[in-house]
Amino acid sequence: MQFVDLAALTVHGVKNRLAILAARAEARGDRETLRDALEAAATLSRLLACYKAEKGQLAADIGACTPVDLVGELVAEVRQQTALTISADLERAPELWFYDEHLIRMVVRDAIYNALRYARRQVVIGARTRAGWLDFGVCDDGPGYPPQVLARAAGSWPLSREGTGLGLYLADCVAALHCNNGRCGRVELANTSGAAFHLLLPE
Amino acid sequence: MAQQTPYSDKRFLILDDQAEMRSSLRSQVGSLGCEQVTTAASVRDALQKLSVSSVDVILCDFYLGGGTDGQQFLEYLRTRRIIGRGVLFIMVTAEKGYESVVTAAECLPDDYLLKPFTADTLRQRLERLLERKRRLARIDQFQDAGNWSGTVSACDEIIAARDRYLVDALRIKGNALVQSRQVDTAIAFYRQVLSMRSLPWAKLGLARALQQQGGADAAKQLLAELITEAPKLTAAYDLLGKLHQDSGDSDAAIEILDKACLVSPNSLARQRSIAAVAEQKGDFARVEQALGQVIRKTRHSPLRETADFARLGNAYCEIGEAGKAVGLLEEARATGKDAAADPLLAAVEAIAQRKAGNAEKAAAALERALQADPAALTDDAALNLARACLLAGRQDSAQSILRRLVQGNPEAKQLHARITAVLRDNGAPELAEQLVADSIREIVQLNNEAVRRAKAGDVAAAGEMLCEAAHRLPTNLQIMANAALVVYLDILRNGLDSEKLRSAQGFQQAVQAQQPDHPKLAEIASLVEQIRSKYARSE
Repeated sequence: MQFVDLAALTVHGVKNRLAILAARAEARGDRETLRDALEAAATLSRLLACYKAEKGQLAADIGACTPVDLVGELVAEVRQQTALTISADLERAPELWFYDEHLIRMVVRDAIYNALRYARRQVVIGARTRAGWLDFGVCDDGPGYPPQVLARAAGSWPLSREGTGLGLYLADCVAALHCNNGRCGRVELANTSGAAFHLLLPE
Repeated sequence: MAQQTPYSDKRFLILDDQAEMRSSLRSQVGSLGCEQVTTAASVRDALQKLSVSSVDVILCDFYLGGGTDGQQFLEYLRTRRIIGRGVLFIMVTAEKGYESVVTAAECLPDDYLLKPFTADTLRQRLERLLERKRRLARIDQFQDAGNWSGTVSACDEIIAARDRYLVDALRIKGNALVQSRQVDTAIAFYRQVLSMRSLPWAKLGLARALQQQGGADAAKQLLAELITEAPKLTAAYDLLGKLHQDSGDSDAAIEILDKACLVSPNSLARQRSIAAVAEQKGDFARVEQALGQVIRKTRHSPLRETADFARLGNAYCEIGEAGKAVGLLEEARATGKDAAADPLLAAVEAIAQRKAGNAEKAAAALERALQADPAALTDDAALNLARACLLAGRQDSAQSILRRLVQGNPEAKQLHARITAVLRDNGAPELAEQLVADSIREIVQLNNEAVRRAKAGDVAAAGEMLCEAAHRLPTNLQIMANAALVVYLDILRNGLDSEKLRSAQGFQQAVQAQQPDHPKLAEIASLVEQIRSKYARSE
């Protein structure tokens, strides 16, 4: 058995445990435990996806998706896990867009967990069209990205203990898998009222 | 008062091999106000529960233990039509990517739900998916009924609305055009979709339509391109394999199916197709390898199929392992439900027992095989039964089985070649040259004679001849269609007769089901219309 198969089986087993833990925590309204369980599961998914990306096995299964549903589900999911104000900005969201629902969900979710760590009061999660691109945005009101992250060259993220670098590395990989008519997806970071993460996907 | 939600009246089936996961899922579903929840620990258990009462939503874990998985279960449900398109099937999995191979669209789950998830996420997903089912309900009904023109017009309504179900409607419409063999319309439709965006399902659909048009080379080229672009789309490998096989290149067919196996190693359907190609090529070691895997995985599961045992038994015989074949076939007969009455299994056992030197057991197996209704035999069963008869020296029985097979499929050149080979290889080379040609001549004569009598005004006699032949040869669509035509004509001229009406309707429906674009169907429909207005007036 290859390591990757063993890893997949192990991840499956651990996620089963986490699923049971999360369901129990949710049933008794235990927000902290719920978040720990779900975030731990997200970390495992990220690890496996990074492994696949490194082996050139990360492939996007692109289909027609509804960004409003994706953001809506993530907002509801995160609200259960935090006392911060989580809001959705969907006013200029398109009805349909083409992307890999699961990969994009993973990337946006990672950006949200990162924002939860630094936000003071609120996080805004949005989807909007911007001149032929779909922009998934995750904005917090924290201290913003450190200069070395903003100054990065794509693909060479400084790795932090919380795994931020890993998340951004993966976001780059996933964005690059979304190409159409010669344009490929990309990640943009900025400091506005806090850290602003943007995942841009071409029409 | 109970909470009223869009899903609280829905019936759920939860399938997971782990007790803790089952109860966790059950309480999540319960917390949404759903009370009709059944759980199952295995595929067998689930099938039993589905046979007792129907459900609206199936939540199925991908890993089911014991060599089976949720995808195999879903393929089984869909191909046997155990659940209609209206039933929501959600695959629950820890990681998407390892298991989510894109098979035929028919066999895809409605959605994947990644563990862990909260009850709240489940609620939102259910609302969304049930809304989608509602929006597509009319299309699903038309599709389930095989009504493709209805499907197309229902899709057109949604396409005109340009809402979030637009792409679903486009995909289903394309499939409906292919199913109803509207080749030119389908090609133009897919080209238009592809001009907007390169979508794998549209390329696959275009390849299907090109194949129907007779452009096998263009279809092959397109599929090779598609496999590079979307390596997980296993349906593309399957179609390419079939095209290679149809053009007689079994090496290329096996090579492409092998590649598909690397993408989805657990697909039973693919191992079965590899076995079928290898069988025709005469590569029985390969048949043994492919079907050996299938049987190891399904031996104790409801997904087992008696035909796998029969074909593996046959492969053992061909590679000189008659003893092994006998053991396997006897096991299949003793343990499989309805296997004792299966004519293919019995025919192969007759051959194996004879090769293993057990003359008495061979004779007994042959007797069992000959009990079956000859009109209901599959091609494989008929061919093997003929072989068994030839080996037992019963040349007359073999001839009559093969003659019927030819007459039921007068256009099937590949089948004719297999029939000739069976005769040649089993001690009747003098018949090999003659049987196919003679059988075709005989059925053409019968058809012509019936048409002559009908034209001469004796529709009743013509109807009798054609009905007899149609009952004997239910796959010969020319005979079936002519039988329907002549019997309707008889009714129109000579008066309403409920028995004749029933049999004509039966023939008409059989043709409709087997070939919706059969050229005679329009003429038949217009006769039915004439009958309707004539007898409506006289009432």
